[in-house]
Formats: sequence, structure tokens, C-alpha cells
Amino acid sequence: MSEPILKISDLSTSFFTNEGQINAVDSISLSIDQGEVFGIVGESGSGKSVTALSLMDLVESPGEITSGSISYRNAELADTLREEYPDAVDGAFVDILSVPESVRRSLRGPSFSMIFQDPESSFNPSVTVGEQVAEAVEVQRRARSNPRSTHAKTRGVEYSLSGYLTSAVLPSKRFVTTESKERAIELLEMVGIPDPIKRANEYPHQYSGGMLQRAMIAQALAGEPDILIADEPTTALDVTIQAQVLDILSELQEDVGMTILLITHNLGVVARMCDRVGVMYAGEIVEQGTLEDIFEHNIHPYTAGLMGSIPALDNVGGRLHPIEGNVPSLLDSEMRDGCYFADRCPKAMEECLTKPQAFDGPGSEDHAAMCYLATHEYEEEQALPDTYFDSSTEVMTDD
Amino acid sequence: MISDRVKSNLKQSLSESILPKIGLVLFIVIIFMALFAPVLATHDPTSTGYFDPESGSAYPPLGHSYDTEIAVDGEFTAVTVEANSTHLLGTNTVGQDVYSRLLYGARVSVIVGISATLLAMLIGVPIGLLAGYYGGRVDDGLMRVADTMLAFPALVLALALIGVFGERPIEIPDPIVMAGFADGMPETIPIPGTVTIVGALVIWVWFARVARGEAMSLRNAEYVKAAKSFGTSNTRILLKHVLPNSMTPIIVLATIQVAVIILLEASLAYLGFSGTTLSWGYEIERGQDYLRRRPWVSIFPGIGIMLAVISVNLLGDWFRDALDPNIDQSKRGA
Amino acid sequence: MLKFLFRRLLQGILVIWGAITILFVLRAFSPGDPAVLMAGEGADDAYIEQVRQAEGLDEPLLSQYFEYLLNIMVGDFGFSWEARREVEAIVIGRVPATVELAVAATVVALVIAIPLGVISGTRRNEPADYGATLFSLLGISTPNFWLGLMLILVFGVWYGIPYPSIGTSSFSLGGFAVEYPNSVGLGLFDFPTGRREIGFAAAVSALVFEQSVSELGTWVRYITLPALTLGTYFTALITRLTRSGMIDELGKPYVTSMEAKGLPRALILYKHTLRNTMIPIITVIGLQIGTLAGGAVITETVFNWPGLGLRLIDALNARDWPVIQGIVLFIAIAFVVINIIVDALYNYLDPQVRES
Ligand SMILES: Nc1ncnc2c1ncn2[C@@H]1O[C@H](COP(=O)(O)OP(=O)(O)O)[C@@H](O)[C@H]1O
Ligand code: SF4
Ligand SMILES: [Mg+2]
Repeated sequence: MSEPILKISDLSTSFFTNEGQINAVDSISLSIDQGEVFGIVGESGSGKSVTALSLMDLVESPGEITSGSISYRNAELADTLREEYPDAVDGAFVDILSVPESVRRSLRGPSFSMIFQDPESSFNPSVTVGEQVAEAVEVQRRARSNPRSTHAKTRGVEYSLSGYLTSAVLPSKRFVTTESKERAIELLEMVGIPDPIKRANEYPHQYSGGMLQRAMIAQALAGEPDILIADEPTTALDVTIQAQVLDILSELQEDVGMTILLITHNLGVVARMCDRVGVMYAGEIVEQGTLEDIFEHNIHPYTAGLMGSIPALDNVGGRLHPIEGNVPSLLDSEMRDGCYFADRCPKAMEECLTKPQAFDGPGSEDHAAMCYLATHEYEEEQALPDTYFDSSTEVMTDD
Repeated sequence: MISDRVKSNLKQSLSESILPKIGLVLFIVIIFMALFAPVLATHDPTSTGYFDPESGSAYPPLGHSYDTEIAVDGEFTAVTVEANSTHLLGTNTVGQDVYSRLLYGARVSVIVGISATLLAMLIGVPIGLLAGYYGGRVDDGLMRVADTMLAFPALVLALALIGVFGERPIEIPDPIVMAGFADGMPETIPIPGTVTIVGALVIWVWFARVARGEAMSLRNAEYVKAAKSFGTSNTRILLKHVLPNSMTPIIVLATIQVAVIILLEASLAYLGFSGTTLSWGYEIERGQDYLRRRPWVSIFPGIGIMLAVISVNLLGDWFRDALDPNIDQSKRGA
Repeated sequence: MLKFLFRRLLQGILVIWGAITILFVLRAFSPGDPAVLMAGEGADDAYIEQVRQAEGLDEPLLSQYFEYLLNIMVGDFGFSWEARREVEAIVIGRVPATVELAVAATVVALVIAIPLGVISGTRRNEPADYGATLFSLLGISTPNFWLGLMLILVFGVWYGIPYPSIGTSSFSLGGFAVEYPNSVGLGLFDFPTGRREIGFAAAVSALVFEQSVSELGTWVRYITLPALTLGTYFTALITRLTRSGMIDELGKPYVTSMEAKGLPRALILYKHTLRNTMIPIITVIGLQIGTLAGGAVITETVFNWPGLGLRLIDALNARDWPVIQGIVLFIAIAFVVINIIVDALYNYLDPQVRES
């Protein structure tokens, strides 16, 4: 197919809390092609959202990206940065983790944008929806029309307290211009909000959840991003509305050829939307491949477990609990050596007590699984006794 | 009444932050000063015998002897004001020992602060519980009274009440002196009685409001409903279930109100409406006309008030942070 | 919105009625003779009798009550037998000084507290945050009369305490030297203590009609220390509220979503989080007007600032009940009115309330 637009390798993100270090993303590697929909599935708590935030560089303290690289293909950006940051640029790819904060900030909007799970809490309740969408338009408009060299584009939009104070007195100095407002209304119309002129002046609490999620999509599209990250975009919505929102996303993807990273815990959504899929467990991508690889030729018992529990499409709100037990706490001190899934794995073997690497899978050439079953069949005589982890883990007791 | 969870939260925030520790230490020091004032004092705080007639002036604190010109009978004369080694913090403008008065001032502040708050609790909590528990007209009435009371600023209302009732001190005997542990100290100390009562009248509304809110939310709690279905009497439910469970916010409020009362007492004494002179606030007033040459007379009692109020405020913050279940969750939630 | 205002207004009237009733009850059931209370200290028997007749203190309580209510409704706050003047005239004459002081203190508080709160809320656990936290702890714990004196003292230090010799009056009183500085400061900036030379209105009109700045300068010099004294508690309180409000607000998911769309940090801070933080703080400020009034009584006494508070203390010293109740009632009414305005403002600013 087409070339990759994003190559993530060995990305790790940890939270340094009072209880200890939590490795929410544990050296994951993936590659996403231009124009495809890449899905990430996994139970709640497996590190999907933190992965998305890491890509956006929005991980908040006490969290920190501890290692890895995120190479983003953008020839223009690469040319601009090549001289100043030769280490960060490789051909048309830029490692966005090696460029300064201001450059990464300037990528939000035109390069990456994000849709969040809960539309209601993702808008400021005391500013109109139209204004908030228009802000996103304005940031991009200013970045693009920056009269200085393209270099300036990577500096982000300047704004200061004095700017805000002037705008309070002089309406003409407001951040959001009329043009941006008009564009915002167009965007709202594009995502199927009826009567967008009127609705643009309404506040978030006057919107229904589905309408607000559409508005958030409109907002994310304002900068015409290369990559749209959608973190469980339909989880908070009613079933019928979910389908509508997914329709909008697929239409956009087809019309504009946008690359979408779709995060979900719903395999139905994956089957419907995605070209390729990564299965996430305990901060790791335990299996990845094409839709067919994952649904037909899956290797990892966790993936198989997820399949066994595809919720019927009319019950998509339900959480995945495919296999007995819980996602581990991800606390560094409590993680055991070996496969993280071993304590829940029905096929755990002795060798699973040492960490498996990502082996090639039997499916397409992209297919890979972090499981010894990719290298050989299950050997019953090697099986760990059922009670093996009962004694060695004290934290896993459930009441 | 105080659950294990509360206790462990209190311990945790005590160990996590420096501020509650400072508050606790200050509080203990001030209580200690107040309790043992007669023993710790070096002079009778009311005796004016240390006035130096020659300089027409009060003694400065240790190490602060200075030369000055003083007008005596219309003539300016050069004098040296010598520090007197028995007066640690100097003497005030009528020759009383500042250090000893500082200790007794702590006593007055603590007694007024705690007793007015307890009195306000005694008035406010039952009224609030009844109003919240029964709801309806009683409740409406209470809320109107509360709104009305809150329209008067505390100090202004206190002044109005004093305008009507006057100001009366209550002499309370000092057990330490009576028991013979501190000879030469006054046998009774005057506590501003009107101020105590007026303080309670000014702040009881807050207790009523908080108790009402708690009672309202507990009214529909499962265990209260269950108790009702067993035919438990309302009085019993109020005393056994509602009151103990609303204690947490009431304790937090009481802590903060002690600080309010200490400031109120000091302000009234400063304005000269507390009816007593043995008070930090009054000392500040007394020193203010001599601020430039004898600043210590006003400075030390002011520091006393400030530290007392800081300690109580810090304790209040500590209790609030540790006892508020919402904060508890947000700290842990991931 | 209109319906809300109407309801709020009705509620306010009820509270004012309650306040009037409380003051009446206080007088009617005061432990002493109400005629003595009304006549003030130092009135002789004949004068007390005259007051009793004139005020109708022999009449049944209920008719006294209605008369009192009716009088207040038409703006007649009573007569001060002590000062021999109408109470409302006394009150009105003192209002501008207090309003100027209160507004100046509020402005000082807002100007200092909001940036301080924002800095401290956005740089948690950095030195700036510790500084602001310490400041607000001291600010809410310091008695303001003492603070006023310390300001006088500290500004005096520039002259070299304990022997400043400029700008003080020193005279002998029964063997004691009375010394209370008339002004303190840095020479260039002397801050007078103990007077109010010119009102704000007069200062502004001098500026507008005579293009003369010096009046306004005088006004500023006179009000600086009292406003700082009165404003400190308020500053500390608003700093605290702004800090915790900002922390709350910055933790909300919409902030992440705004970061994701590439908004400049300053825009998120000021246009979104600070605005949302200020909406509830406005209500707190309204409720704290009472504290401000109480503080004004003290501050005016310290600085001899001729406002309502100082007059209240004078009236209390003279046991002049009509003036006491007049000023107390005026403050209560002002509190109610200001809070109605604040509530209306709150409703206007918070769309969740406004649009529903
Ligand atoms: N702000 C945070 N502080 C501490 N731990 C966090 C924070 N955010 C996420 N985590 C940890 O990261 C792990 C993965 O979380 P997340 O990415 O939200 O899971 P998912 O989106 O797959 O449900 C969780 O176990 C959680 O404990
Ligand atoms: S590596 Fe072993 S324990 Fe882990 S999933 Fe594969 S079979 Fe199960
Ligand atoms: Mg998530």
C-alpha cells in the first residue's frame, strides 16, 4: 500500500506517582500508513489514551515520555528543520520527540489533532461552541498566514496577557476573527449539525452528546490535520448516535484521505472502520496486523479472548472483560518478568516466564505477536500449573 | 465518630505537608502559654509598678536602651531609657510587663475563642439539624433568619449588640494561683463576657447552615430510612445517626470559627468595647500613640494574635483537606 | 432572567425587613431604659423625658414597630438626640469616604490577587507558589488594625525609626509624650495618616475642569495606606480562591482538548480558565462585602478616616443608639443590594444558569 506517515518506535511513557512508577506505555512500536485507519484495541487501563496523548505531546505531569521516537513524515517540515536540528531529521521524516516544545506545539492542529471520549467535558462550558471551533480555525489561519518565513510556522501562534486585556476593551482585537467564525459554521455544517448558524451561538450544555461529538470533530478538522487521533470517540454516546458519528468519520476519511488513529475497546468498531489494528495490553502492543490477521489468524491468547467477547453491535456500550482477571496495575515494582499476560493466559508455559519479543505472525507481512505461540504450538507438558500465580502475586486478589 | 479512614487521612496529610505540622506546633505552644500563664509570667500583668517616672516612659525590651528627648512638664530634656533586665519584652506605656501580658493575652484569646465557638455550636447545631431533618416551614423560617443574620457583618453586628447590652467582664478564678503554684499573680482574670456571648450570636448561623445541609442529605440515607422503618423515634435517629455523621464538617467549621472569634475579640478590645484591658487587642491600642518610640508595646501582641490565628487556620486547612471525601478521591484517582 | 431578578429582589426585601426587625427588637428589649439608650450618654433626666415623649416610647410596642418600619421605608432613619441631627444626614455625609476606601481596597485586592493567584496556581510547588501561599496565609491571619500600624511603622523605618523627626506632632500630655505621626513615607511619597483631605469626586472634577493633577495625587496619597490595610485580607482571600480555582480548572479535560487544537497557552489561561475561575469568585466577593465593611470600621479607626465606621465608633462611645442603628441598618441594606447585583452579574456571566 502507501507509505507510512508515522513511525513510532520504542515509545515509553511513565507516570511518576507517590505510589511508584507506572509504565503506562511500555516501549511500543508501530507504523501507520498515509490514508489508513489504524485501530488500537484493548481493555480499559491498558494504556491506549496515554499512547494518544504521547503522540500529541499532551502527557501531563507526573507523566513523562521516557524514551523512543515518533517519526512523522512531512517533507516541508523536514526541510525547515534540517539545518537547525540535523539529528531530528531523517529524509522526509522528523522525529518530533527531538525538536523543541514550540515546534511540537505548532504541529497540533495542522499535523495532529484529537477527538476525545467525553465531548461534554471537552468543551469549556461557558464559551459558545461556535467560538470554540472558531478558535481552532483561527490558530491554524494565523499559523498559515504568518508573513514571515515558513520557519515561523513552527513557532506557534503568539499570544499574551496584554493581548487578552486589549481584546477585552477593543472588540476588533479579539483573538477570533469573523472569517474564522464563518469557517467554523461551515465546519459545523460539514459534520452534519442542522441549523449551524444558530447552533454556533449556543453553549455546550445546550447540545446533545452526539451533536457535541460532531462539533468536536469539526473542531479537530479545523486545521485540516494529517493525522486525526480519535480516542474512543463513540464510547460516551447512544448506540444509534455512535453509528452516525462513525459514518461521519468514514466519510471524511474517504473524501479527504485523512489518516486516522482510532482508539476503541469495541471490536465491532474496529471491524467496521479499520485497515490495520494493534492490540494493546498492559502498556504493550501485544499483537498487530491487518484486520484479517487479527480476526482470522490471531496468535496471542489475549486477542483470541477479545474475539470471544465481541459485544453484539446493539450492546457496544459494555466493557470488555474477555478473560478472567484484571489489567495489572502497571506499577513498575509490581510487574513481573516475563509475559505480562501470563497470569491470565490459559496457555501460559514455562518459557513465558521470560519476556517474549514481537515475533512474526502467520498472516500478512505486517502481522506480529508478542507471544511464544507465534514460534511454536502450545505444549501442554510445559504448562504452568493453574495455581502458579496465586501464590506469587499478592495484589491480584479480587473481592 | 472519628473513623479509621479519617484518622489515617489526618496522619497522611500531616506527614505529607509542612503546614499542618507548623499549625499543630504553634497551637500546642499557644495552649501551653495560655494554660500556664501564671507560672511562666515574670511579673503580675496588671501591676503598673514598673513605670519609670524619671524618664516618663516605659522600659524598652532587653538590649534596646536608647537616648531620646522627652517632654516632661513642657520642657524637653535628654534622657537615656535603659532596658531593665527583668522585662524581657519591655514594659507598656503604663509600666506593665509586656511579656507577662502577652501570656495572659493568650489565655483570654483561647478562652474566648473556644467558649464562644462552643456556645455557637450549642445554639446552631440543634437548630440546623431540626430544620434540615424536618424540612418544610421550620426550614424556610431558619433560612430566612440565617440570610438576615448574614446581612450584618460580624464586627458590625457585634458592635450593635454591645451598643445595647454594654460590655461586661466576667472574673474567673485562676486555679493555678489558687492552688498556690504562682504567688503574686492575680487570683482572678477578667474574661470579656459580653464579647463571648456576642461572638456566639454572630457566628451561630454558620453552624446552623452546615448542620442543616448535613441533616438534609442524611435524611434520605438508607440507614436512616431503615431506622425509621423499625420505628425508631426521630429524636433517637437525630442523636444516634444524623448528629455523629454530620460532625466532620462541623468540626472543620468550628476550627475556622475559633480564628474568627479570636480576631473579633482582638478587634473589639482594640476599639475599646470588650470591657477588659487584659487583651492583645487592647495592648495594641495602648501602644499605638507611642508607635515610633515604643513600638514593642504594639508589635508583640500583634504577633501573638497573628500566630494564634495562623495556627488555627492551618489546623482548619488540615482538617478540611483530610476530612473532605472529595479531595480524598481526587488525590487517589488516576 | 427577569423572573430570577424579581425573586431575588423579593428575597432581598424580606432580608432587609428582617434586619429592621432585629434592630427594633434589640432596642425594645434592651436591658436598660430605651429612652436613655435613645438619648445618648450624658443626657439629663429632663432631656431623657423629652426624648421619651418625642419618640413615642410610651406607646404600645406594636405601634412603635410600625412607625419605625414606615419611617425607614420613606428614608427617615430617626433623629440623633446626642448629635441633634437627622440620622440619615449623618449617614449620607459619611458614605463617600467609606465607599472610596472600600472600592480602593477592592481594586488593590483584585489587581494584586488575581495575577498572584494565577501564577501560584499555574506554577504549583515552585518558589512563587510557596511565596503566594505564605502571603495569603499571613494576609488572612493578620488583624488589620495591627497591620495598619505596622504599615505606618514600616514606612517610617525609611526615616530611621526609632527617631524620625519629620512630619510628626509631639506634645506633652500629663507628663507623657504623645507621638503619632501625621505622615509617613519616603519623603517623595509621604503617606499622610489620619485625614482625608479631598474626596474622589472633587479630585476628579479638579482634573477635568481645571486640568490639575495635584488633587488626584493628594487623594491617592491619603488613601494608599488605608486601602492597603483594608485590602490585605481581601487580597489574601482572593489569591487563595484564584489559586485553587485555577488548579481545579486547569485539571479539567477541556484544557487538554484546547491544547490539542493548538491554542496558545496564554489564551487558554486567560480567556478560558481564568474566566471560569472568576465566575464563582464573584459570588464570594459579594458575600465578603460584609467582611469588608467590618474591616472598614477598624481601618477607619486606625487611620482616622472619616467614614461610616469611624462614625459608628464615635456613636458607640457616646452611646448614641439612633446613629448606631442607622449605620448598622445602612450597612445591612448595602450588603443586600450589592449581593443582588452580584447575583445578577453571576447569572449574566454563567451561561449554564443564564440560558436555562
Ligand atoms: N494522570 C495519570 N497519573 C497517573 N497514572 C495515570 C495517569 N493517566 C493514566 N495513568 C495510568 O496509565 C494507565 C493507562 O491509562 P489509559 O491510557 O487511560 O488507559 P486506557 O485509555 O487504555 O483505558 C492506567 O493504568 C493509569 O493508572
Ligand atoms: S507468551 Fe505465553 S503467557 Fe504470554 S500470551 Fe503467549 S502463551 Fe500466554
Ligand atoms: Mg482511555
